[in-house]
Amino acid sequence: MLFITSTARVISFAWKNLVRNAWIGLATVLVLVLALLSVNVLVGVNAVTSSAIKALEDKVDVSVYFKAGTPQGILDLARSYLASLPQTANVEIVSADEVLGQFLERHRDDQKILDAIKEVETNPFGATMVVKANRTDNYPFLIEALKNPQFSFAIESQTYDDHAVAISRVREIAKSVRYFGLILTAVFILFSVLIVYNAIRVAIYTQREEIGIMRLVGASNAFVRLPLILDAVFLALLALAIVGGLMALGVVFLEPRLKSFFDGADPGLMSFFVANAWYLGVVEGVTLVVLVSMSSWAAAGKYLKK
Amino acid sequence: MIILKHVSKVYPPDSHALRDVSLEIGAGEFVCIVGPSGAGKTTLARMLIAEERPTRGSIEIGGWNITRVKQREVPYLRRQIGVVFQDFKLLRNKTAFENVAFALEVAGETRKRIRETVPHVLKIVGLDQKAHRFPHQLSGGEQQRVVIARALVHRPKILLADEPTGNLDTLNTNDVIDVLKKINAFGSTVVLVTHNRDTINALNSRVITIADGRVVSDQKHGKYMLPE
Repeated sequence: MLFITSTARVISFAWKNLVRNAWIGLATVLVLVLALLSVNVLVGVNAVTSSAIKALEDKVDVSVYFKAGTPQGILDLARSYLASLPQTANVEIVSADEVLGQFLERHRDDQKILDAIKEVETNPFGATMVVKANRTDNYPFLIEALKNPQFSFAIESQTYDDHAVAISRVREIAKSVRYFGLILTAVFILFSVLIVYNAIRVAIYTQREEIGIMRLVGASNAFVRLPLILDAVFLALLALAIVGGLMALGVVFLEPRLKSFFDGADPGLMSFFVANAWYLGVVEGVTLVVLVSMSSWAAAGKYLKK
Repeated sequence: MIILKHVSKVYPPDSHALRDVSLEIGAGEFVCIVGPSGAGKTTLARMLIAEERPTRGSIEIGGWNITRVKQREVPYLRRQIGVVFQDFKLLRNKTAFENVAFALEVAGETRKRIRETVPHVLKIVGLDQKAHRFPHQLSGGEQQRVVIARALVHRPKILLADEPTGNLDTLNTNDVIDVLKKINAFGSTVVLVTHNRDTINALNSRVITIADGRVVSDQKHGKYMLPE
């Protein structure tokens, strides 16, 4: 009975505190919202950067040009060998006829070139094999794999050398962006932790007189602390809900605007937040609740020891 | 009821608030503790409610040695000693009734007991007609009487009042002292810490005088002995 009475009273005290100190509560929620927003914005920026890097990486491939008249068996052998490698994401063969068709389509307004092709009478082009690696740092391995003597004699040229510098630059940029993104996120999380701790301390500082009176009239430490912790948890959950709403609005607003930067491709912002909404919500919610609870516990303790 | 044995309190580095104080206060006594500012009166009062711990010596209250009382036991001690301070310490946004009820709520008392007890103690201090007024709607003396009602609500055997009339005019001072006398008449031990000469002389009760951290006199029916 005493437990039920005390629990009900702790909840009632927490609720009354919250209503009575609405302005302080609002200020605390604002600080919590700003701290959470800063972390989430950074998470969003990281997601978009990752998408941009992935889009760039997707554009990288190695085109292998076979000599004209290379038998289909050699082409199939080259394709099946590369496709069997775990470093390969995709292998496509464009036949000699398709290459000729694409060439003629490209130069359909250039009569001189069309006449020259007609003059040759046979298809001067060989088949092309387009190889994509599952990671950009696997390209050097695949280039090495193309030296396989079973089909390397039929290769006329390859475009990797043209892309080599671009590929290595994309790799460096991607690495730096991910590295600095992680550091920046860690710094923002650290700042947010300090900001949240101080916001809770200020909120409890305003109630120090009441804490003193509670102690004076014989309230146990737990009875003093629990309503304050409960208040902080209410505020944290309110801040989390507000941030959820703001992030949803922000993503809906930004997604179409970012598409133009990605040549109409998916910028990855909405898909990232849709896929990770629950995970982010739970991780941020649990972290925030633990953080504000510990902050309240510590901040109230200062006035309980006096 | 209250026994202090060779109690000393030293604040670092070497400020002696109390020096080897020994005294006994019996059940049902009305005791005034007097002394100039800085004599150690408030330090003594704070030790009785475990706000301070003695550097040396021991303190016993109702057979309970509180010299090294554990932090978690302090709330139970506070429920046995009613405390009244000069600066009232009332919650501004609660009525007189709610301020008194607050002391019972934090102790986990039932609503039924709160509804029965609070009007009763408010009647003892003469505020039953003003139970639903907020502190700012009450005079200084009335606010102090709310504090006394709150201190009484746990039916403590000891009431400790540290300069309860320090902020009050003569009329209100008399009202508060009358309430303290009434509580003492009901059987509670009252320890009044004050430097109000007129109050002490009018009470004609036991007076313990402290100066420079020491007990310099202890008279059964004492008067204010110190120079103004």
